Amino acid sequence: MLAINGLSASYGNVQVLWDVCLRVDEGEFVALVGANGAGKTTLLNAVSGVMKPVSGSITFMGHRVDGSSPNTIVNLGLSHIPESRQVFTDMSVRENLEMGAYPARAWKDRRATMKRVFGLFPRLEERAGQFARNLSGGEQQMLALGRGLMSLPKMCMIDEPSNGLAPRIVSEIFEILTSLHKEGITILLVEQNVRQTLAIADRAYVLENGHNALDGACCDLVESDHVRKAYLGH
Amino acid sequence: MTALRDILITGLLLGGLFALVSVGLTLQYGVARVLNVAHGEFIMVGAFLTFWLLGSVSLNPLLSLAITGPAAFIVGFILHKTLFRRLMHSSPSLDIFEGRSMLASFGLLYVVQNLARIIWGSDVEGYTFLNSTITGAQIPLNRLVALAFVVVLGGAFYFFLARTRLGKAIRASAQSPSTAQLMGVEINNVLAICFGLGLALAAIAGSLLSTFFAIQTTMGLGYTVIAMVVVVMGGLGSITGAMIGGIILGLVSSTVTFFHPSLTMIAYYVIFIVLLLARPKGIMGK
Repeated sequence: MLAINGLSASYGNVQVLWDVCLRVDEGEFVALVGANGAGKTTLLNAVSGVMKPVSGSITFMGHRVDGSSPNTIVNLGLSHIPESRQVFTDMSVRENLEMGAYPARAWKDRRATMKRVFGLFPRLEERAGQFARNLSGGEQQMLALGRGLMSLPKMCMIDEPSNGLAPRIVSEIFEILTSLHKEGITILLVEQNVRQTLAIADRAYVLENGHNALDGACCDLVESDHVRKAYLGH
Repeated sequence: MTALRDILITGLLLGGLFALVSVGLTLQYGVARVLNVAHGEFIMVGAFLTFWLLGSVSLNPLLSLAITGPAAFIVGFILHKTLFRRLMHSSPSLDIFEGRSMLASFGLLYVVQNLARIIWGSDVEGYTFLNSTITGAQIPLNRLVALAFVVVLGGAFYFFLARTRLGKAIRASAQSPSTAQLMGVEINNVLAICFGLGLALAAIAGSLLSTFFAIQTTMGLGYTVIAMVVVVMGGLGSITGAMIGGIILGLVSSTVTFFHPSLTMIAYYVIFIVLLLARPKGIMGK
């Protein structure tokens, strides 16, 4: 579904990604883990068209999308749920969700989609009329996830949903990710919370200093010495 | 009692016009990040177009809004697509773009003002329109009609921003252009639309203004200054703030003008400074 080959990207003169390769097949739950500054967010930004890669190719559903504009990529069915939630704080919960349905093909079905999202996140329905800035961190993350689903994506790229949340809320969010995956949405999850991530994903890539370090099935990675030492603390 | 009523009506009318103009500047600055010092020139252009359409083809000044607004929108849309968008892409950061866009709009100010002077000269112009008063009121009919138009147009614009798909995209882009892009918003189009809408609001305000005020090709800058005061007072980038700020300044204007016209400008700045001391980030600032 998504294939990234030889991707290099830089901010000005600072190169962040070197020759990175990554593949996500339809129906998979793939994780991308690594330390802070490893280039995980840059990779997502390059895929969603927010930044232009220096070289390499990105293919989504058979279309070359490197260099395409973000709206083209959303329209193809790839939703990027950004780091630190980025909800529209001065808009209501309902309006945030409506913004998620901005692509024309999703807009006409927005009411039905919103019902589904409210089914997944009942708390958002209770707070539909409130400004997003008045939500708790966990609720804002739910809103960001719900908003990302409003464009009727085939695949979601989710950037650090656990960031800054209490452990209980993190578990709740991870359960929701698992149920989204069960509903048939392909997921690429970026996380620093390696232990919990490897427990729910099928496969994972480890990114270190902008390079591919390791990849494989999560059950194998958990056993690897390198992952245990560097990310699991034993 | 009648004096109070007249001050209130004139204040609301001026306030409504200031609000339209300031919301226009907010769309340009808060969303498109263009610090457009030529904003007031388009009030002047709107006023003179209305004046000229009345003189040449006897078009009713109120109907001329349907021409001046869309014409200014098209000019603004094209200006952004050609000039400001290029400046934005060649600027290393948005802060640098703000500075450069201000310099470019200074150039625009001179071009527009001098073109207008070539066409319409630099004399004070005006026309009489609905000059009678209705029974019992001191206020001429033209001001009441203009007030009604301001209220309807302001309401319609508010509805557009609050309820429509494009209006929501504009508000989302004002808060975070990059996140709006992730939602599928074509940001370059939205920015050009905002710039065009800003100019359209200025031109419409100018057209309405000409129905009850004398006009001159040098009138623009004064309104640019007022709009900038209102935008800062309301809280940078806040559309609601610009509306409230505009109405406050309009009421101040009509009150002070009633007692001592030459103190109006001073009163603006006194209110401005007092408000900023009380709320440094503006009425709706966060």
